Amino acid sequence: MTEPTSKKQSFSRRDFLKLSGVTGAAAAFLGNMPKANKAIRNAMAAGEGNSFEAKPENQIYTVCLQCNTGCGIKVKLLEGMAAKIEGNPYSPWTLWPHPAYDTPVKDMATVEGGLCPKGQAGLQTAYDPYRITSVLKRKPGTKRGAGQWETISFEQAIDEVVNGGDLFGEGNVDGMKAVRALADAELSKEMKAAVQKIWDEKDAEKKKELVKEFQTEFKAHLDVLIDPEHPDFGPKNNQFMFVWGRMKGGREDIVDRFVKGGYGSINMNGHTTVCQGSLYFTGKAMSAKWNAEKASFDGGDKFYWQADTANSEFVIYVGSNLLDANYGPPQRAPKATDAIVNGRKFAVVDPRLSKIAAKAWKWIPIKPGGDAAMALGMIRWMLENEKYNKAYLAIANQAAATAAGEPNYANGSWLVKIKDGVPGKHLRASELGLLTPQTVQKDGKDVKIFVDAAGVEYPGDTPVALVAGIPTPINVLNAEAAAVIGDMFINQKVGEFDVKDGMQILLESAQEHTIAEWAEIAGISENDILVLVNEFTSHGRKAAVDIHRGPSQHTNGFYANNAWYIVNLLIGNFDYAGGTIKLSTYDRKGTKKGQPFPVLTMFGEEEMTAFGVDMIRTGVAYEKTTLFDGTYPTKRPWFPLASDVYQEDIPSIGDAYPYPIKILMTYMAAIPYSLPGGHTTIEILADPKKLPLFIASDIMVGETSMYADYIFPDLSYLERWEFHGSHPSVPWKVENFRNPAISIPGWPTVKVFGEEIAMSFESVFIAVAEKLELPGFGPNGFAEGVPYIRPEDLYLKQVADIAFGEKEDGSDSVPEADDEELRIFLEARRNLPPSVFDADKWKAAVGGDESLWRKVVYALNRGGRYEAFEKGYKGSKVGHPYGRLINLYQEKTATSINTMTGKPYAGYTKYIPAGLSSTGEEIKDTGYDFNLITFKTITMAKARTITNYWLLAAVPEGYLLINASDASKLGIKDGDMVRISSASNTAGEYDLKNGHKVPMVGKAKVSQGIRPGVVAFPLGFGHWANGSLDMEIDGQIIKGDSRRAVPMHANGAMRVDPVLGNVTLSDLAGGSAVFYDSKVKVEKV
Amino acid sequence: MTNEASLLDKYTSEVFAGMVAPVLEGMNISAAPADDPLVKEDVLFRMNTELKRALEKPASERRWVMVIDLRRCIGCHACTVACIAENKLPPGVVYRPVMIEEVGMYPNVSMKFLPRPCMQCENSPCTEVCPVIATYHNEEGIVVVDYDQCIGCRACMAACPYGARTFDFGQTYAEQLPVFEGAVVGGKTAAAYEHASQEYGEARPRNGKHESPVGNARKCHFCLHRIKDGMLPACTTTCIGRATYFGDANDSTSLVTELINKPNVIRLKEELGTEPRVYYIV
Repeated sequence: MTEPTSKKQSFSRRDFLKLSGVTGAAAAFLGNMPKANKAIRNAMAAGEGNSFEAKPENQIYTVCLQCNTGCGIKVKLLEGMAAKIEGNPYSPWTLWPHPAYDTPVKDMATVEGGLCPKGQAGLQTAYDPYRITSVLKRKPGTKRGAGQWETISFEQAIDEVVNGGDLFGEGNVDGMKAVRALADAELSKEMKAAVQKIWDEKDAEKKKELVKEFQTEFKAHLDVLIDPEHPDFGPKNNQFMFVWGRMKGGREDIVDRFVKGGYGSINMNGHTTVCQGSLYFTGKAMSAKWNAEKASFDGGDKFYWQADTANSEFVIYVGSNLLDANYGPPQRAPKATDAIVNGRKFAVVDPRLSKIAAKAWKWIPIKPGGDAAMALGMIRWMLENEKYNKAYLAIANQAAATAAGEPNYANGSWLVKIKDGVPGKHLRASELGLLTPQTVQKDGKDVKIFVDAAGVEYPGDTPVALVAGIPTPINVLNAEAAAVIGDMFINQKVGEFDVKDGMQILLESAQEHTIAEWAEIAGISENDILVLVNEFTSHGRKAAVDIHRGPSQHTNGFYANNAWYIVNLLIGNFDYAGGTIKLSTYDRKGTKKGQPFPVLTMFGEEEMTAFGVDMIRTGVAYEKTTLFDGTYPTKRPWFPLASDVYQEDIPSIGDAYPYPIKILMTYMAAIPYSLPGGHTTIEILADPKKLPLFIASDIMVGETSMYADYIFPDLSYLERWEFHGSHPSVPWKVENFRNPAISIPGWPTVKVFGEEIAMSFESVFIAVAEKLELPGFGPNGFAEGVPYIRPEDLYLKQVADIAFGEKEDGSDSVPEADDEELRIFLEARRNLPPSVFDADKWKAAVGGDESLWRKVVYALNRGGRYEAFEKGYKGSKVGHPYGRLINLYQEKTATSINTMTGKPYAGYTKYIPAGLSSTGEEIKDTGYDFNLITFKTITMAKARTITNYWLLAAVPEGYLLINASDASKLGIKDGDMVRISSASNTAGEYDLKNGHKVPMVGKAKVSQGIRPGVVAFPLGFGHWANGSLDMEIDGQIIKGDSRRAVPMHANGAMRVDPVLGNVTLSDLAGGSAVFYDSKVKVEKV
Repeated sequence: MTNEASLLDKYTSEVFAGMVAPVLEGMNISAAPADDPLVKEDVLFRMNTELKRALEKPASERRWVMVIDLRRCIGCHACTVACIAENKLPPGVVYRPVMIEEVGMYPNVSMKFLPRPCMQCENSPCTEVCPVIATYHNEEGIVVVDYDQCIGCRACMAACPYGARTFDFGQTYAEQLPVFEGAVVGGKTAAAYEHASQEYGEARPRNGKHESPVGNARKCHFCLHRIKDGMLPACTTTCIGRATYFGDANDSTSLVTELINKPNVIRLKEELGTEPRVYYIV
């Protein structure tokens, strides 16, 4: 070891400064600083900053929101200011394995978990100089988007949005009071029931009669309806619409309470389809639940599965970029790098060399949209070579699964009726006379059951399988019933019916092409398929295909996802360690017996019942509504299999279909920026005739809120509450608590119901509720004497539910905080203002019970509730299995109609070419030769991290990735500026409708790591709001910062649907907004 | 291609391979054991425990080293940003960049990632050239900078063969941004955090253009201020690929001792004789 060089003592600069009194001058300079800044400098100068990081009293555990992964974080506080952010060491997102939950919080003071660069940069989101601190109102006389604002008081703003009037000198605007025509909760319930009756009636004439009946029954109240001829449009209340970008549990629950239960509107929509919508809705279709009494399928769960990276011996990551995005790097990267070091192979299917592809055993640069072709090639090989799990797939019901020790079962052997060659519904046992209906007495009531020839009872009609050739009724759900192991690959007549089973239908679909042909369609080699499928089928159930946005955001996304899930299903890896797994969270809504606060049903007075067709046509089938006249296509598509179809919100307002919207409120939404073809929404948002009143909640003037009439300032993620939930690749049962770690110095407060709270998203709802006397809020919001006035009145109840756990006797609850933990909890929050933290008020919010309060403290001290590491798995299976029917064949899908073609959707895995219009036609954009795709760098989330300069230090700008051979043909060199344009945006620019145009121009990055013919750009750059543009507030110019406008963004080049004209291409089955099917031109500028 | 060369090719940059190739001659890389430190507890826990154990010894008996497993590095820049956030580094100053290099021809193409902190050389060229002895080895052997002593001549920057030092020109990221009381938060209030550095356990608010560390040549110091309080360097804890390891190489049972004695370990520019305390696993 080198001897430490001795430090020569000499007269240092510091000594000089001390002697010369310059420090005094510096102190005087500090006097001019705003208070907070000064406090920090003083604290640092006084040495208080020394070692502050290591003390538990200076740490609050909460949850990141720099992207949607939701990693647990530890915020280190200096004089109440967040000085540094680390990974929360209790969280399974940041340490693997995660430590024991009962580790004392003081022992964790110097332990930190891994965190990505966005998480590390979070201070710059919270402490963004451009965050607004006052309500901004569009300056009367100026146009939307002009960037001219007036500050007005919160009280006045609430008064204006509630009461309306001539707010902008443009004539009368209806406020929230006028739009809420129906205020009678009882009446709303009765009307909903009557509308349901109309929808349930199948006969067109009888339906019309029911409408007449409705008009007669409610003739005194027809004025509350949007259109009495269409009572199923619902009340005028539905003309208030709430649309959100990123929102998690808790806030989602207040929105539900406000919009539906309080205000009585059906219209609250999330943004699912701009993320990986079709993935969620493929999951929903595959998890559709068999209803034994009705003998039909109910809806499934809106969710999806992912690979268990930690335990898989072989994974195929398809369009799944887990080292940069994908919910998310901190929790998935350690498992992936462990696989690298320990020789567990993985392959990556992606047109672009992602970082995970760079680390992979094989990179298969597939042609965008070719997913289902590649998967069907694998499926064909697996079926023809008998490399599928026959024993598992033959299991036809719960009883057989239980007997075999399987955690779940599929319906591949259930018979499907074939009509004109098209697979439709499952054959029902009664259709063959295997079961007959009977009415029996049960508990003194008449109950309809079904009985077979031997007298065995079934709760309803059933599907049928052939068992050794004999048609057999399947009691699907009852674990005690007869186990059914079905024959597979059936193609015959049974009784009068032509039938096949799901496996046969799958085989035929896979045999539409040879493996070589499938490979050609996918733009890969046959050998790629053979090598991958051979490896995939060599690890039993410890192999998995992991899919994400890549397959999903195509017009054929639903079927691409389904094809890959079927590949998993064929080896039976669902619910197995190393296979395909799902998330598990603690119940935050108090629906389990014994949980202290069933918050969803806690209304102090009767809540409204929202009803009617929703604005984006997802809650009810077109054919059931009064709009149905037997004709197709509809003016805009309906979405029988999806919800939260983000790209449809604004265009539907623009077309007033199915009805006009009067008030839109958006939250954390960057609609024009984040949607493909999002430029089309600007024109609508900017037009008060199409959208009379536009309210936004935002932390600054963003790409959507810049068009708003009012912007209400919100709190950043470090200042507020939410329950972040979990992600499919996390096997443990968890819930993450986002809770206030800081308050911005001088942050404005407002008075609601006489109480002072922080100006925030919640404060808008609570204040409007106070003005309109909505049920569910105020001194008796939850129940007589149980108030909902402060935001945490709800959130702490939810923390209490989670801390209590899910066992009625309380045996699942967390420990109580001891005095030391309580002290740390209180001291850590010593700098939060009483409007945010007041220990007595917090305790009162959970009912004042000391024991429950201490449990709440214990859980909050850890930033969430995390199940013990060893509970994630039980032997070879996961600890929290999905555990029920998986639909290999989807009857519900097969009986849903595509309203643009009038034809039913296919109920099975099928290859459909990508990039078709909404009516299913090929789009020929001659002269636009490149296929544009997007990706993420780990430094950027889509819409909210461009303000973080530290991240720009690592990756300074976006770019267009282009293959070297393509670049060479176009004469483009690395670093050249290029413009992207398309047939639906020939100018290659965003027109902001305020005189500004933002060109889709950026640097070319010439690379070998992208498929020729494909160009790609990373999302998150190229913003035009968020502090990048000058704006005027009260006549004063606030200069924008050009660092926030670094290029480039090219969503506006994505293809607008040629039929609809004002919306991106969409996957009508799965709902996805399409990011990867547009043809563009790349020109050097 | 030899086994060694192909491994190097996969995990290291071309420049880097050139630096280390001589060292690898005769080395049996394929014998690298596959045992994984993550099996029982997260490796961050183990290193945290070992750090506390090392702190019980006299400072001069510790030998801090860093080990970076290039197989696990995913080029995420978490370390780069965590370091900036920890030390409140201003624009232009970076202690731990990560180099990314694309190699190969489509479709046989890959990426290499190389984090490059200060190598904390035992024979450090930078300390040799400092005219005012502002940079030297502290008693734990870490190359530190006495900001009060530094005159900003940048001789050390020129001398460092690894490019590990950058100059502080006195900028801030956000503090200069607009203020409008009552409408937006404004730079002055928002950016107070830019003054909350605890580097070397010293309070150094950035008060102007002429007060250190403004005008100094700055570099990585293994987060000495964190180590003293029992925390691992910021780059190490934040590393989501678990590619960075830190500890006392004088502790025969520590993880870093275990790792640096494996055959697949190299140091950058070994031939210069700088004796870096940063090791790479390839």
